[in-house]
Amino acid sequence: MTKPDTTQRDPIALRLLDAVTQGLNVLGSSLILVLMLLVGIDVAGRNLLSMPVSGVPELVTLSIVAIVFLQIPAALRAGRMTRSDGLLSWLTRKSPRLGQAVATFFDLIGIAVIAVIVQTTWPIFTRAFESGQFIGAIGDFTAPVWPVKLTLIIGGSILILQFTARIWRRFA
Amino acid sequence: MTSFVIGLLSLAAMGIAVMVGLFVPIALIACSFVGVWAIKGSPLLASKLLALAANDAISSYFFGVVPLFVLMGFVVSEAGFGRDAFDVANAMFRRLKGGLGVGTVGANAIFAAITGISIASAAVFTKIAVPQMIRHGYAPRFAAGVVAGSSVLGMMIPPSLLLILFGILAEQSIGDLFIAGIGPGLLLAVFFGLGIVAMATFAPRSVGMLSKGTESLHRSEIWRKALPIVSLILLVLGGIYAGFFTPVEAGAMGSIGALTLGFAMGRLSLKQLWTVLVETGLVTATVCFLIIAAQMYSRMLALSGVPSGLGSLATDADLGFWGIMLIYVGIVILMGMILDSSSIMLILVPLMLPVVIPMQIDLIWFGIVTVLAVEIGLLTPPFGLSVYVIKATLDDPSISLTDIFRGAAPFALIMLVVLALVLAIPQIATGLVP
Repeated sequence: MTKPDTTQRDPIALRLLDAVTQGLNVLGSSLILVLMLLVGIDVAGRNLLSMPVSGVPELVTLSIVAIVFLQIPAALRAGRMTRSDGLLSWLTRKSPRLGQAVATFFDLIGIAVIAVIVQTTWPIFTRAFESGQFIGAIGDFTAPVWPVKLTLIIGGSILILQFTARIWRRFA
Repeated sequence: MTSFVIGLLSLAAMGIAVMVGLFVPIALIACSFVGVWAIKGSPLLASKLLALAANDAISSYFFGVVPLFVLMGFVVSEAGFGRDAFDVANAMFRRLKGGLGVGTVGANAIFAAITGISIASAAVFTKIAVPQMIRHGYAPRFAAGVVAGSSVLGMMIPPSLLLILFGILAEQSIGDLFIAGIGPGLLLAVFFGLGIVAMATFAPRSVGMLSKGTESLHRSEIWRKALPIVSLILLVLGGIYAGFFTPVEAGAMGSIGALTLGFAMGRLSLKQLWTVLVETGLVTATVCFLIIAAQMYSRMLALSGVPSGLGSLATDADLGFWGIMLIYVGIVILMGMILDSSSIMLILVPLMLPVVIPMQIDLIWFGIVTVLAVEIGLLTPPFGLSVYVIKATLDDPSISLTDIFRGAAPFALIMLVVLALVLAIPQIATGLVP
């Protein structure tokens, strides 16, 4: 929501990371607009031309996963990921060092679990890519599923880097 | 250690981690991972469960339209329809004691008919109503509390994302659920209004030093402001009931309608549309990521046998209809303190259906009871989503989270009263359903 004000002082690596994060964010936001138009076209086609547009439910189903993983790094960067920070900010006031240590420990947990997800999604992605896995019905509408798996891997990796960046900024 | 004990331990670990300040989704994922590892003795299996949930938990048409409901809420507010609703409602209630508070509730009730999510209402009215109330002498705590309390109307009055979710989980008609939500939603709004007037009369100190009434509006001005909102309500609800589109598609149609109106009235620019889209993306990602994590967590719990263990405990205890309903509502409210609304429904509803269906209860009514109970959790610490949204939107360090929770407490109590009424008199919900 608020523009990070540290951008100017950040080293080039962090600025690059934020740029990539924002790029994914832009992609995800555009997808939402596409989603809206798709459903609109489907409804219009059904009512005005009595001709449903095939593939809309499938595309909606696929794109939501992509939207989430494209935007979640930006959500973390903007400080929007859900948390109850009362106790931690109290701790940081009382003892900055302990507070920082706990916050860093939490970020490490984040890195660990997302790494597990990304690593285990990799074989799912390669399998989907090699076997040409799709959703929909042949002859009517089909869409490959590998782009979504790839989005998950990219978004997850950037999320890990954003967690790392939080630790970096804390001690820089 | 039995898997039942592991499940209970992970429940406790999750609660503690969330309260200390670990990101909620990360806490859920970490506990699921460790839990499955401990139950099955295999880290590989645990990581597979995580990856599968990440890939397929939200991959459905229902979740696909979540961003569109969020988008509708934000477009409607960015185009200033929230302020219009607020002005119209204030013109109606300005003579009352605590009129701005009642006006906020009224505006929320109107606004709820064009949005399906509570957080949109919370965000909009934090920006519009809180500053105005503070300017007129209301205590900041009370002002934020009113907004938090009345934001839950967004989920009760159709269209409502939570009712859609329940309809899908319980295979009930979403149209019927929407109709059933109208009675309790309006009752809630009336009780909120009465509560505010009562507080302003009997406990004026908690409300603040009120300055005299707000500016009045000319009748034609009121109509000019009401017309776009009324037409949007007609588009969204009329479209659903005339059969032009399904309730699930209402988010997209409402967004298109609001965008068209906003651009036609010169109230939206492309730049604003972009801001709204980015904001929608961030909210969608946050909410859906939480749902994914909650799914992993509920899959881990299912493996541990905690839910079925609790279920058979409930049946063996021979609690009877009311016993089960009261315990259920109690558990929902308790879970509302640590989890968000959709996660609770995703975890609990599939567990409860096998228990309540043999009792021949009306599932539409059961859905309304569930959503009402779940929404109380939006207002209760430590994890009250509406309160967090208000805190984030307010961006004012002088109003703390605790302040907002205290301000919202009376409204949580009123919700409890309405919930008791709906439990005692099911006709409040089911009376309108054909």
